[in-house]
Amino acid sequence: MTEVWIGLFSGIAFGFVIQRVGATNPQKMVLAHLMKERYIPQFMLLVVIFSSIGLFALEASGGGTTRVLPTSLIATGLGGVIFGVGWGLTGYCPGTCWAAVGEGRMDAIFALLGGLFGTATFAHLHEVLIPALYMPTNYGQLTLTDVFGHPGVALGFLVLFLGIGVLLIGRLWGRQT
Amino acid sequence: MSQSNTPYWPIFPSAIALAGIMVFIFASFGPPASSSGFVTALKGFFLEVAPGYVESKAHYRMMPGPGSWLMAFVLGMAMGGFIAGRSFRGPVSDLPQTWVKCYGPSRPKRFLTTFVGGFLILFGARLAGGCTLGLFLSGATQLSISGLYFGVVIFAVAMITARIVYKNRSQNHD
Repeated sequence: MTEVWIGLFSGIAFGFVIQRVGATNPQKMVLAHLMKERYIPQFMLLVVIFSSIGLFALEASGGGTTRVLPTSLIATGLGGVIFGVGWGLTGYCPGTCWAAVGEGRMDAIFALLGGLFGTATFAHLHEVLIPALYMPTNYGQLTLTDVFGHPGVALGFLVLFLGIGVLLIGRLWGRQT
Repeated sequence: MSQSNTPYWPIFPSAIALAGIMVFIFASFGPPASSSGFVTALKGFFLEVAPGYVESKAHYRMMPGPGSWLMAFVLGMAMGGFIAGRSFRGPVSDLPQTWVKCYGPSRPKRFLTTFVGGFLILFGARLAGGCTLGLFLSGATQLSISGLYFGVVIFAVAMITARIVYKNRSQNHD
């Protein structure tokens, strides 16, 4: 039961912050995708920079539960392409649409309903699609630590890589609304 | 660098706040995820109407049902969005302005589009194994290659899609 309360508290905090920064507003997401507004993509990369440093410290002190998802060249990539089309079309992603429904956006309610149908459809086809698309090119739970050999170096690379991303977005994305 | 995200919060302190919440979740539960919450919600529904179906499907067997952290988290997201939306000074609209400029103020047209888009988002997320949060944000936080790979693909494809969808954005349909 404690786990449920912790989940509820985490969700409320998460939903509140993403509304306040504008991530639940599909108009801001559309402008971000059209390279007209830099805030949300920069925000996302900054979150990863700070949380990866925070998680590194947490793990160094012996805490934290992690679960790295496997990399499947085809399933992760094809899933990303299908996801990207939907994201570009609506301006919502699975997390923001829950918060946007709470915020009172009618179009988010339909995104959520569509999402439930999409989930049900995939779950129904899981036994066919996972062996066909996921397993053949599944390279396992790869991390940057496997590439660089040392977790500290891997973290340094990630922070540098995403930091350059933040600067590039600031340069290339226009600022009109 | 982040002074003018008005009427919203500046992104720099917001990113620190959200990263703090992410680290709290890693410390108290595990990697945060939200597209899995859709599976959990559906599992709860099917457990009521067709328990045998849930048992026969691996995708439902591998996810916790309602009464779990995941279900509470996505419901909490909606509650957090509600509290934030009610106490927000900016307007909340049902249709994005750029959409209205291209496709007019028709609600059914937009709602049908977000329904189809929502279908694609979740179908793709379940195939890849996670979404913007579960795969990209929490994956990249754990230095995973899958998270970074997924993040690059979704950004690139969403940018191309938006360019096609809003191509005639100079025209007015009202």
